[in-house]
Amino acid sequence: MTRADKILLAGLLLVSLLSVAAAGSRFFLLSGKSEPLQAVIMSQGKQVRRINLSAGGRSSFAVQGRSGYSTVEIEGGRIRMLNAPCSGQICVKQGWIEHSGQTIVCIPEEMLIRIEGAAPVDAVTR
Amino acid sequence: MRNDTRRMVFLALLVAMATALHVAEGMLLVPLPIPGVKLGLANIITLLTLHLFGFKDGFTVALMRVVLGTLVSGMFLSPGFMLALTGAVSSTLIMALLLKYTRCFSMVGVSLAGAAGHNIGQLLAACLLLQSSSVMYYLPVLLMAGIPAGLITGLLLNSLLEHNIKSGILNDFKRT
Repeated sequence: MTRADKILLAGLLLVSLLSVAAAGSRFFLLSGKSEPLQAVIMSQGKQVRRINLSAGGRSSFAVQGRSGYSTVEIEGGRIRMLNAPCSGQICVKQGWIEHSGQTIVCIPEEMLIRIEGAAPVDAVTR
Repeated sequence: MRNDTRRMVFLALLVAMATALHVAEGMLLVPLPIPGVKLGLANIITLLTLHLFGFKDGFTVALMRVVLGTLVSGMFLSPGFMLALTGAVSSTLIMALLLKYTRCFSMVGVSLAGAAGHNIGQLLAACLLLQSSSVMYYLPVLLMAGIPAGLITGLLLNSLLEHNIKSGILNDFKRT
């Protein structure tokens, strides 16, 4: 390893740690209060559904993805991918999400679930 | 003519090795609960080709590896293939530029930069594919994971090239 290698390594470490801190603090700020939250479900680049999560209650429905139907479940202000026809099942294993800014992504099905809602702060300078 | 054939055979061997590594790596279980994190063993071959034969051949080997590797694993032309392709292209570009225009990095530095380039390129492609920028929140995780992966591949290559200085096994192929 040369000196330049070590400098690059240290730089990369610093950048990744800073970005972890930045993303972490943003999540922390955004998930501070329970503002009205909405779940947006995108499939193949189009928004297919927008649901109010703060209303509570329990429901599930099917969403058409790239190769078939996935089931999305909502319960008590949380949302999850109940089942999906994809091979990795990463979206299903991720489980529930409930805070503004959180996402579930299913690459094989080209689906995305995102929680949107008013942030407890007006703006964040970065 | 003889040298052309020799070069082609060696490049074909490199593509075969890279494909084998790509597929074998896909079968390995990563001991982390994070999707998308991998060692990038096939990157060793890309970097070796860049070092021995230069930009054009390194690019060819990387592209052929992605196409063959995804054909074997049944992912060809799937969204996962697009991500692998953009990752390979961006990391090869960055590593080629570093190899050509800088002298101060060893293989470790080049491979680290390649790993970071791979992750950034891949996430940009995921952003386009999903038409959402929130995928970028995943970048810190991938960057972190890319550091040990880039270190390991870089150190492996360093020791390979060191061994080559002693034994001269690769020099025979370099003379084309």
